[in-house]
Amino acid sequence: MTIINYDQRLVKSKNPYPRGPNDWKRFFSFNTDAKVIGIQYIVTALFFLLLGGLLGMLVRGELITPPSDLFDPTVYNGLYTMHGTVMLFLFLFPMLSGLTNLLVPPMIGAPDMAFPKLNALAFWLVPVFSIILLLSFFVPGGPASSGWWSYPPISIQNPLGKMINGEMLWITAISLSGISSIMGAVNFVTTIIRMRAPGMGFFKMPIFIWTVLAAQLLQLLGLPALTGGAIMLFFDLSFGTSFFRIEGGGDPVLFQHFFWFYSHPAVYVMVLPVFGIFSELFPVYARKPLFGYKFVAVASFGITILSLVVWVHHMFYTGTPMWMRNLFMFTTMLIAVPTGVKVFAWIATLWGGNLRLSTPMLFCLGGLFNFIFGGITGVMLATVPVDIHVGNTYFVVAHFHYIIFNTIAFGIFAGIYHWFPKFTGRMFYEGLGKVHFALTFVGATLNWLPLHWAGLLGMPRRVASYDPEFAIWNVIASIGAFILGVASIPFILNMVSSWVRGKAAPPNPWRAIGLEWLLPSPPPHENFEDDIPTVLNEPYCYGLDKPFVQDEQFYIDKSFKKH
Amino acid sequence: MLSENKNPTINHNPGHVKHDGHNMTGFIIFLCSESIIFFAFFVGYGILKVTAPVWYPEGIDGIAVKEPLINTVILVSSSFVIYFAEKSLHKKNLWGFRSIWFITMLMGSYFVYGQYIEWSELSFSLQSGVFGGMFYLLTGFHGLHVITGILLMGLMLYRSFLPNNYQRGEMGVESVSLFWHFVDVIWIILFVLIYLWQ
Amino acid sequence: MNTKIKKNNSKKYLTIFIIISAVCINSLISLLMGYWSYNWLPVQASEAANYVDNLFAFETTIGTFIFLGCTGTMAWILIFNRAPKYDESNGAPIEGNVKLEVIWTIIPLILVLAIATFATKVNYKLENLGSKTKYNFGEEAPFIEEKKPFDFGPIDVISRQWNWEFIYPNGIHSSELHLPINKRTNFRLITDDVIHSFYIPAFRLKQDIIPGSVITYSLTPIRKGVFRLRDAMFSGAYFSQNQTNVIVESEDVFNKWISETVKKELQNGLNPAGRLYDKRLKNGNRGWATVEPAPAPKVQDVGLEDRPHDG
Repeated sequence: MTIINYDQRLVKSKNPYPRGPNDWKRFFSFNTDAKVIGIQYIVTALFFLLLGGLLGMLVRGELITPPSDLFDPTVYNGLYTMHGTVMLFLFLFPMLSGLTNLLVPPMIGAPDMAFPKLNALAFWLVPVFSIILLLSFFVPGGPASSGWWSYPPISIQNPLGKMINGEMLWITAISLSGISSIMGAVNFVTTIIRMRAPGMGFFKMPIFIWTVLAAQLLQLLGLPALTGGAIMLFFDLSFGTSFFRIEGGGDPVLFQHFFWFYSHPAVYVMVLPVFGIFSELFPVYARKPLFGYKFVAVASFGITILSLVVWVHHMFYTGTPMWMRNLFMFTTMLIAVPTGVKVFAWIATLWGGNLRLSTPMLFCLGGLFNFIFGGITGVMLATVPVDIHVGNTYFVVAHFHYIIFNTIAFGIFAGIYHWFPKFTGRMFYEGLGKVHFALTFVGATLNWLPLHWAGLLGMPRRVASYDPEFAIWNVIASIGAFILGVASIPFILNMVSSWVRGKAAPPNPWRAIGLEWLLPSPPPHENFEDDIPTVLNEPYCYGLDKPFVQDEQFYIDKSFKKH
Repeated sequence: MLSENKNPTINHNPGHVKHDGHNMTGFIIFLCSESIIFFAFFVGYGILKVTAPVWYPEGIDGIAVKEPLINTVILVSSSFVIYFAEKSLHKKNLWGFRSIWFITMLMGSYFVYGQYIEWSELSFSLQSGVFGGMFYLLTGFHGLHVITGILLMGLMLYRSFLPNNYQRGEMGVESVSLFWHFVDVIWIILFVLIYLWQ
Repeated sequence: MNTKIKKNNSKKYLTIFIIISAVCINSLISLLMGYWSYNWLPVQASEAANYVDNLFAFETTIGTFIFLGCTGTMAWILIFNRAPKYDESNGAPIEGNVKLEVIWTIIPLILVLAIATFATKVNYKLENLGSKTKYNFGEEAPFIEEKKPFDFGPIDVISRQWNWEFIYPNGIHSSELHLPINKRTNFRLITDDVIHSFYIPAFRLKQDIIPGSVITYSLTPIRKGVFRLRDAMFSGAYFSQNQTNVIVESEDVFNKWISETVKKELQNGLNPAGRLYDKRLKNGNRGWATVEPAPAPKVQDVGLEDRPHDG
C-alpha cells in the first residue's frame, strides 16, 4: 500500500493553494495556465460588456426621441460604431476565448493547452488592442464612425486628412484582434485534436468540444480573408491606394465580399460555443441524456461547412446580380436544417426530464426561447424579396440582437453561472441569479421585440433621427435598454461577492457528468496531471447503465481530497 | 471505499500526454490559415483584373517577365536545395547541413535582391490605380514572407551551433523547411497570376 | 384486466386529442398572424408590394406555427416535468430516436426549399433590377440599354452626402420624385461620393447606389399618394437627413407638373443636412469629423420638407 504523505498536486503546482495569500497577482501576470488565462479573458470581457452596454444606452438615449437632440450626429455615429465594435471584439470574442480556455483542457482531460505561452500571448494582445481602440475616442476627428462594417468609400474619407485617425486605429485594433484569434484558434484546434483523454474518441467528446472545434476551424478559414480586406482598406486609407477607391478604378463592393466572407462565419463562431453550452446544460438540469448526441455533433460541422458559402446574403441589395442573390438564398436556407436539428434535440432532451430551474437552466431556457424567434426572423431575412424590403432597417438590428444578446449572451451567462463553482471554488447566490435573469429577459425582450415592427414599417438602421411615426417602438425599446443596464447590477454583485465570500463549492454541485466535474473545485494547476481517466462513454448517460470513465468512484473520491 | 489503497497509475496510461509533440501540428494549421490570406489577395487580384474599367495605369501595358522568371527559377530551386540540407541533418552531417542551408539562404537573398531591383526599375507606384496597388501588395507581402523565411533560417543556423540541441533543432528545421516550401508555392501561383496572365 | 386496457386506451385517445387540438389551435393562430402581418407593413404602393407581402405573410404563418409548436412544447414540459423540491432523480433515459431525427431533418429541408422556391418566383415577378455598369471616375455615367421595356424614363437619381436630385428625361431637376401611376418607370442610380441606398418602404424596394457604377432599376407605382424615400445605407454624418418624398399622381396631374416645372428657374433644392451643418458651424464646429455636405442641388422643383406622407 502506498502511503502518500503529501499531495502530489501540491508539490507540482506553482500556486499551491488557489485561494491562498498573494494569489490574486497571478491574474495580472503573464501566466501560462489556461485556467488563469480563461479568467483573465472573462473578466476583461465582462468589463467591456459594461462599456459596450453603456455605449448602447447612450445610443438608445438618443433614439428615444425622433430628432437628433442628444448628441451631434457625428458623435452618434462614433458611439454606435464603437458600441458594435466593443461588443463584438472586446466582449464577445474574448469572452468565448475565455470560456474555451477554461473548459477545453479539463473537459478533454488535458493538463493545459497545447501551446501555453502562445495562449498567454494571445490574451495579452487583448489589453493592447483594446487600448488602441479606445484611444481612438481621443484623436482629432474622433473614433471610427462608419459602423462596425467600415465599408469604403465612407470609411476611408478621412475628412481631416490626418495619418493617425479613428479609422486607422480601428483597423489596427481589429487586425490585432484577428491575430490574437488566429493564435487562439491554432491552439484550440491542436489541443482538441491531439490531447484528448485515453478512450475519448471524437464521438465521446462533449458537444461543447465539438462546437468549439467547429467554431475555431471557422476562425482559421475565415479570419485571414478579413485580414486581407483590412490590409487593403488600411492601404487605401493611409497610403492612397485604390483597391476600393473609385478615383483609381477600385471596387467598393469587393470590400464587402472580403468582409462578409469572414463576418458571416464569425456569427457562427459566436453562436456555436453557445449551442455547445446549451447541449451541455440541458442534460444536467433535466437529468436526461442529450437526445441524438451523434446528430447534434455532426450538425455542428454541417453548420460550419454551410456557413462558408452564404456570405452574399448580407449583400442582397448592395450591387450583386440576380443569379448570385438566388444562389446564396438557397445556401442560406440550408443552414436552417442543421440548426433545426439542434433545437429539436434540445427540446427532446427536456421532454420527459426532471427539470430543476436553477439560474443556469433559466438562462438556457430563455436563450432557447429567444433563439427560436430569432432563427425564424433569420429565415425571413434569407429570402431575397423580404430582405430587400427590411434589409438595413431595424428589422435586421432586431434580428441580430435577438441572436447576439438574447441567445448568445444568455448562453454565456448560463455558462458562467454553471461553471462558476468549478473554477472559483465558490457557490454563487441563487436568488441574485434569478433576479438577474428576470431583469435581463424582460429588458432584452422590450428592447428588441418592438424594433421588428419599426423595421417592417421602413425605419433605416444607424440613423440618429427618424420620422415621428416610429416613435412608439423606440420609446419601448429604450426603456428595455435601461432595464438591461439595471440588470447588470445583480450580476456584478453576485460575481464579486460570491467569489470573495460565497460558500465553498463541492467538486460537483450539479451532480453533472463530465471530466471537469471529476476534479476538485477549483482544479489544480495541471488538472488531472498524469493520472487521466479512461473515458468509456459520452458524458450524457443520465439514468443509463453506461459508466462515464473507468474507476469513476476513485476519481470522485480524489476530487474531494482538497489541499 | 478502498480507494486510498489504489496506486493512481495502475489502471491508466501515465504521462502519455506530451507537451512538446504538437508544434508541427500547430505550425501546419497556422500555415493553412496563412495561405488563406494569400488566397484572398489572389481572388481580389482576379476580380479586379476582370472587372475594373481601367486596369493598367497610364502608359503601361504590361510588365517584363524575363528577370522575374530568373528569380522564380532560383527560388524554386532553393526548395530542392533546402530538401538536401534537411537530408544532411537527418544523417547527422552537421557541417553538410550548415553549408547547404546557407546556400539556400543565399538563394533566397538573391530573390529578395532581384525583387528590389525589379521594383526600382518599374515606372508605376503603389498608388498607380488598381494594378499598381495589387502588384506591390502581392509581391511585397510575399517578399516579407521570404525575408521572414531567411531570418528564420538564420536562427536555425545559429541554433545548429548550440551543443546538444539536435532534437529541438531538428523540429525547428522541419518547420522552417515547410515554411520555405509554402513561400515557394505561393510564389508560383503569384507568378502565373501576375506575370503569365497579362 | 379490461379496465387497465380501457385506461391505457383512453390515455392514448386523450393524448391524440390533445395533440390534434394543439395543432389545430396552432394552425388557427398562425393563419391569423399571417393575415395580421399585412398590417405590419406600409401601404402597398407598387406592383411589387403585394408579392413581397404575400411572401412575408407565408413566412409569418409558418414561422408562427413552428414558434408556437416549439415554445408550446417547452411550456408543457415546464408545467408537467418540474422536479419536486428535493428530488434529484433522473429523467427518462432516452438517448435518441433515429426515425424522429430523419423526420425533423427532412421536413425542415423540404420547408425551407419550398420557401426559397416561392421567393425565387417573387424575385422574377419583381423584375426591377437592371444592369450594373462600371465607368471611369470623372466621366459621365454611360447610357445603358434596358432589356425589358419601360413606359417612362430614364430618370437619373443622384444621391449625395446628403441630398437627392432627380433629373427627368426632358431636363427637369427636382428634389422630390414625381411619378405617374401605373407606368413602369426606369431609373439610373448614380452617386459620386459614397454608397447610398434607394429605399422606398411603401414600394418594398431597395437598391444600393454604388459610386463608380450606374445601376438601372425599374418599378411600377400602383397607388396615388406621398411616400418616403430614405437613404438606407449609412453614408455619413447627416445620413438620417438624406430623405425625400415620392409623389405618385395620375397621368394628367403628372403631365401638368412636368409642363409647369420645366418653365421654372433653377434654385436651391431640399437640403436639411446643409442647414444642420451650418448650425453646427455657428456653434463652434463642435463634434467629430465629417466631410462637408454637398451643396444643395440646383432644381426647378424645390419640394416641401415637411410634406405629410402616407408610408
